[in-house]
Amino acid sequence: MIESEFSELASRLSRILPRHPAVSVTGAASLGAQRGTFMIEIGGSGGRTAVAQVSSGPLDVTSVDLEARLIQHAARVGVRVPEVLAWDVEAGVIISERVDGETIPRRILRMTAADETLGRRLVRDCGHSLAVLHGAPVQGFSELPDQSEPTCYVETLTDLVDSLEAPNPSFRLGLRWLARNAPERSRSACLVHGDFRNGNIIVDQNGLAAVLDWELAHLGDPMEDLAWICLRTWRFGEDANEVGGFGRLESLREAYEEAGGTFRPEAFRWWTAARTLWWAVGLARQAKAFVDGDTTSIVLAASGRRVVELEYDLLMEIG
Amino acid sequence: MIDRPDLETLLGAMAATLSNEVVPASTGVAQHAARVVANLCLILQRETALGAGRERDASKAVAALLGGREEGETLGELSEALERRIMDCDDAFAEEVRRVLLEDARRRLTIDRPGYAP
Repeated sequence: MIESEFSELASRLSRILPRHPAVSVTGAASLGAQRGTFMIEIGGSGGRTAVAQVSSGPLDVTSVDLEARLIQHAARVGVRVPEVLAWDVEAGVIISERVDGETIPRRILRMTAADETLGRRLVRDCGHSLAVLHGAPVQGFSELPDQSEPTCYVETLTDLVDSLEAPNPSFRLGLRWLARNAPERSRSACLVHGDFRNGNIIVDQNGLAAVLDWELAHLGDPMEDLAWICLRTWRFGEDANEVGGFGRLESLREAYEEAGGTFRPEAFRWWTAARTLWWAVGLARQAKAFVDGDTTSIVLAASGRRVVELEYDLLMEIG
Repeated sequence: MIDRPDLETLLGAMAATLSNEVVPASTGVAQHAARVVANLCLILQRETALGAGRERDASKAVAALLGGREEGETLGELSEALERRIMDCDDAFAEEVRRVLLEDARRRLTIDRPGYAP
């Protein structure tokens, strides 16, 4: 983005905030295909620092409002999240407080490698946060999809595998296993984050500073969230530490149960396989978009060469 | 009659140039793309050495699983045939399939991500 675009963005953001203070855009933290994240100052130089997430693709007008309300709900029930300052559905913008800390997974792992107690605090914070999120009554989110029923999830996965149009026996074997080993549905569907992992958290020297990226939240089986954060792909090479590469599953489980959660081992195993397959298919779809000419992104093309890692994990999981 | 440097050597040199010269000189999205391309060059370098053998071994293993296949079927055709067998097969066959696919995944990982499979 060039300076004039930053200036135009700053004007838009000012109009969204209460009392329309002066806003300056100080940098772009990330620029994805669908969303950009910008660092801003509110109230002139030296003012409050904040973050603006701006949808840059086709706008889903329900998603901005829903995401902002989800973040506020999470804060109310005791999950650490950035405070939402304002949002605007038409502009596709959410403005939140800036929370200090680290978000890059490998840097988080360097922090926890240098300080063992930080890793332990972090995994316990994650367990606690997930338990309070899953345990809270969910009201006012009737528009959220319910993905808690395992057999429905298998149907969804099957449709996704079929959409690849290329044979993948590993995926079919995974679907077979999932269909034949579906656990009992969780007693009641709860709010699950849907993408709680190393890469979507802010970590400081005290532990978990904030949970980010709530746009995939839905009603579901709580074991889905616990399985997701433990997928090998989110350990960034620190494979012995099941939880995000920074902590052990037994500590996550302990903290989760201490905060009122119920850990169901068979369901956890099933959701581990299901979410491994889901992510494998996600990477394969990214590569397919490149092969089909829908994108020229070399990063998405390269996703096709990561699929085998998830296939391997899946085949090991279902053995 | 013979081009030099050859494919493998060039791919290695491309990866090294990207990693040692382009990555340090770039930032943000461009730097990330350069890292990705460097890694892809190394993948392709390994594939030139190992890829044909891997595909041959996979075709042989899948053909043996399925039994009674025609000579010269491609790995794609064999994979499609295997997919069709999988959904309705019994547990014993499913486990045989899992072992064959796991072995193939290990070989693919020596190309795409060495060290991933212990």
